[in-house]
Amino acid sequence: MSATVADVVDALAGVKDPEIPVVSVLDMGMIGDVAVEGEHARVVVLPTFTGCPAIDVIRSDVAEAVARVDGIASVSVELSYEPPWTPDRISPEGRAKLRDFGLAPPSSARPVMIADIGLPSEATCPFCGSTDTRPDSMFGPTPCRALYYCNSCRNPFEQFKPV
Amino acid sequence: MSAALAPVVLALADDELVLGHRHSEWTGFGPHIEEDIAFSSIAQDEIGHATAYYRLVAAHTGDDPDRLALGRAPSEYRHAIVCERPNGDWAYTLTRHWLYDHADSLRLASLAESKHADLAALAAKMRREERYHLLHADAWLERIARGPVEARRRIIDALTIAFDEALGLFEPLPEEGDALAEGILPEPSETLRARFMDEMSARLERLELPRSVQGRAAETAEFIASSSGDLIAGDEAGDGVDRPGAALGGRRGRHGPDFDSLWEVMTATYRADPGASW
Repeated sequence: MSATVADVVDALAGVKDPEIPVVSVLDMGMIGDVAVEGEHARVVVLPTFTGCPAIDVIRSDVAEAVARVDGIASVSVELSYEPPWTPDRISPEGRAKLRDFGLAPPSSARPVMIADIGLPSEATCPFCGSTDTRPDSMFGPTPCRALYYCNSCRNPFEQFKPV
Repeated sequence: MSAALAPVVLALADDELVLGHRHSEWTGFGPHIEEDIAFSSIAQDEIGHATAYYRLVAAHTGDDPDRLALGRAPSEYRHAIVCERPNGDWAYTLTRHWLYDHADSLRLASLAESKHADLAALAAKMRREERYHLLHADAWLERIARGPVEARRRIIDALTIAFDEALGLFEPLPEEGDALAEGILPEPSETLRARFMDEMSARLERLELPRSVQGRAAETAEFIASSSGDLIAGDEAGDGVDRPGAALGGRRGRHGPDFDSLWEVMTATYRADPGASW
């Protein structure tokens, strides 16, 4: 039985972001393209951040998951920056999962261009939903996270940076 | 395949790797926790960008990205000398970060128009991320420029050295002519350098920092080719004094003792077991 693109996509739903294990690479919109030709699958991964240290883990997890699909004998995983990953690629389910995880989804659905430099974007507190928040630092525990403070519920929280 | 692509991208990669390494030296030593994290994170971004550039080169030359990053002799690196300078004090580190990230921003904006599609896409992607570096650098320069006398004095001291040295980022590569002809580089380094000078002069003026800290080498360093073919800064005074503007030659693999010691540390693990997988 030969595998279909849908079979490969199903397998990708099980590949989690190693640093945010509640969301899959599909939820995050990191899959740029999937193609199946005979027994070979080709998957294009769009890194969220170029310097993401998890990218090699994601790459091998994707290869491993797809290789387990019935009818797939070989897999190639390519990294691409075209199109660039942007926050609007995160699915509504993905955004909800990030919030439940305690990580504010990127506030901006549209790409933030360099000309927009000014105040950092707003963030909605993932704990109480308040928008009365202030940025503490644009740099957090991973390249993709910024630190915020919620003035309403007085919790510090992290936001997935708009990029 | 274009022969000019590899040298152009390697110079970009080396800038990011070497400066990223310097930034990483603040990990555990930042003056306070947020800045410790900020510089660690910026270092991770820069080294991540270097990785992407090395991969791009490797895809075209069949080389190994790790060997490109860590397996070359010091004289094979093409970064600008300003990137290898020791961190010095916090003021110097911030000032260099400010100058470098503004220079990098202009460079990436230009490279996003490259005819080489992969390079253009990578530059466009990095530009979005570098926005955070600019926010960080601008916020600090603004705060310190209007801050206490001691802090302001240190920033001015740092600018006196770093501004002219940062112009070394726009030293043309020997392969620049080919890269321009093929559209890999959309604009000559000279154009970017002039743009940088205009923009940074305006910023210094807004910050009410003395404009005299910049300009001397800018006016005199015209990248004259010497008889040996090396590019040297113009020494109008003819007294052979090593002015800051003379921090050129990095794009031809000329580096100083600062890089020798950095290279020793940066490549120690790789040299202990080349080709190891980790």
